[in-house]
Amino acid sequence: MRFRASIENADTFFRIIQAVEKLQKKCIMKFSEDVMYIICNSEANEGGIQVWSQIKVDSLFTSYRIQSNASNVITMALSSEALLATLKSASTSSKSAYETEEIVMKLAKKNDQAVLSFEISGMTRQGRKVRVAHDVKIEVMKPADVANLKEPMCPEPDVHIILPPLQKLRPIVERLRPMSDFLGVRANNNGRLQLSIRTDTVNVDTEWKNCKNTNRASTASQDSEPDRDPDELFSVLVSTKSFFKFLNSHVVSTTTIACICRDHCMILYVYVGDLADAGGVLTFYIPGQLIDE
Amino acid sequence: MSQNGEESEEVHLPPVLKASVHDVRYFAALLRGVNFVNRATVTITKTGFVVVVEEARTLLATAYIFADIFDEYTYNSESPAAPQDSQNSEPEEEDNSAFEIPLNTLIECLNIFGTAGSSGSAAGAGAATGKYKKWKRGGDDSDQEGDDDDAHGRRSSNGTGGNKSIDHYFGNAADKGTGMRMTYAGSGFPLTLLIAEDAAGPTTTCEITTYEAEANLQLPFEPDRMVLKIILKSSWLRDALSELDPSCDKLTFIGNPPPAVINGKQRQQPRLANGTPMLRIQAAGTFGSTEMDYPNDRDVLETFECTRPVTFSYRFGHISRTLRALQSSTKTSLRIDDEGLLSLQFLMPSPKAKAEAAADAFIEFRCLPLDDELV
Repeated sequence: MRFRASIENADTFFRIIQAVEKLQKKCIMKFSEDVMYIICNSEANEGGIQVWSQIKVDSLFTSYRIQSNASNVITMALSSEALLATLKSASTSSKSAYETEEIVMKLAKKNDQAVLSFEISGMTRQGRKVRVAHDVKIEVMKPADVANLKEPMCPEPDVHIILPPLQKLRPIVERLRPMSDFLGVRANNNGRLQLSIRTDTVNVDTEWKNCKNTNRASTASQDSEPDRDPDELFSVLVSTKSFFKFLNSHVVSTTTIACICRDHCMILYVYVGDLADAGGVLTFYIPGQLIDE
Repeated sequence: MSQNGEESEEVHLPPVLKASVHDVRYFAALLRGVNFVNRATVTITKTGFVVVVEEARTLLATAYIFADIFDEYTYNSESPAAPQDSQNSEPEEEDNSAFEIPLNTLIECLNIFGTAGSSGSAAGAGAATGKYKKWKRGGDDSDQEGDDDDAHGRRSSNGTGGNKSIDHYFGNAADKGTGMRMTYAGSGFPLTLLIAEDAAGPTTTCEITTYEAEANLQLPFEPDRMVLKIILKSSWLRDALSELDPSCDKLTFIGNPPPAVINGKQRQQPRLANGTPMLRIQAAGTFGSTEMDYPNDRDVLETFECTRPVTFSYRFGHISRTLRALQSSTKTSLRIDDEGLLSLQFLMPSPKAKAEAAADAFIEFRCLPLDDELV
């Protein structure tokens, strides 16, 4: 089992892990020949939120080499917190004492413990060379366990809508969070999006018009019945905390598409980089909550 | 168009209250000044509304919000038979509508876009000098009337002075705030807020449940029983109070009559001849005590009237509730009556550019003294 790569885009990698770390302290990373998958699927997550993300290897790494018996795929479980700390010291955006020149990430074994070892070499302001090494303990997963990892099954969504910038959504949901545990998300195929809470003391509805609807180009089938009323609102009730955790991905997002499967779940595609030339996508699944309104 | 809900109601009866403002920050700052207990009683009258909050049957905070801070303000009496006389000294007999509301929820709703945070008050703090000369100069009227007189007094002083700080104007124009439209259809209906940042952005509709108003604590302050009256710049009091350790549990105000004025010189002395302070704030807690003396200087104490030596103590926890209002106010009037009832009034400078119309709102706190300190 061999694995080695240079991290070209440490800032983006840092921000992706930042979004993931807020959700779950441990995550699963699966490296294949051209895609890196980050999976958070713990049952214990608040409101059952899951993340399944795919990042193109080219958008983060160079000199990427991978070899394993499981058709060149390596799957590992590791602490997202530790990974975040490592990337923070490697990222140029942090106020570190040195300029990062090269970051090499590789699989290694130290004292019988599998680690993901990061070697950061850089230059201080005084022009001295520095080398910083971080080892993040990992647990390589058996192919049988990997096969058990299944993305949640969802029906064909009723509506796809491009969300307003997540930085704008976040303060609003932040206000709503203490007021209600459940957040109603509604959208129609005519650019309308609503976030609402209903409690004994207050009802709050925030509405956007002029959002864009999309059908995901790749999977879009032409069977979206044209006779459907575009103004019909599809709604799903999700845990406010889960939705707020999803909004932590605002650090990395450019475009976010929300899909609503009425009364079932919500799927959020957070694109890293431009929609057209997306380096990757973080997919959040937030299950719908059933309570009597 | 999101108001469809109550549009049907309006057909039968005009809503009791309809108010709108293009920037909610001032309104939110006023509400925030009394936001220490979630349940507030709101009384709507023709001239504005009054928000009352009480704690522990000891502390009563009232925010007077005049109608002219809103761009539009329409009040339709719920009981058309009631006399339209708002000059009545008994609040119960006034033509008004009252309800209780979760205050914190209201403020959070106003701040839904995160843009109602800081009010324009910071700009006002520096520009206070000489502007509010007429404030509470009279002080002899009964309170309810006093408030009314004040509003008029200030209006005229603002009109003639015309010296609203230019900061207000720029502060207002530079960052666009959140606009709001508020309607209250009447008893039993929710308070409906329609909030929007700009035409392109999202709109938020909030329906806040209102509750039947319960009788509040009444702490009437009789001006003829007043033994101490001080008017000072809010920053002088704010700095003193914020200096104190939060673990303090008791705060004492000590006032002594100023020496007879023979010539102007005596006024500069911080203490009287025998070493007793004119005004001292004393705080005591588990870890020690703090004493702060104010000099009898016109620059510090604009007005100082004291008929006899007074010492009254209050719970620091209650007095510190005033800090939020104090922070955004420019001028403070502190009065104590012969039984120790404390009345603190904070003038909240209006950020409005059109000075002629805007009466500055104010917030009043009344607090009962600690019993064992009765002198």
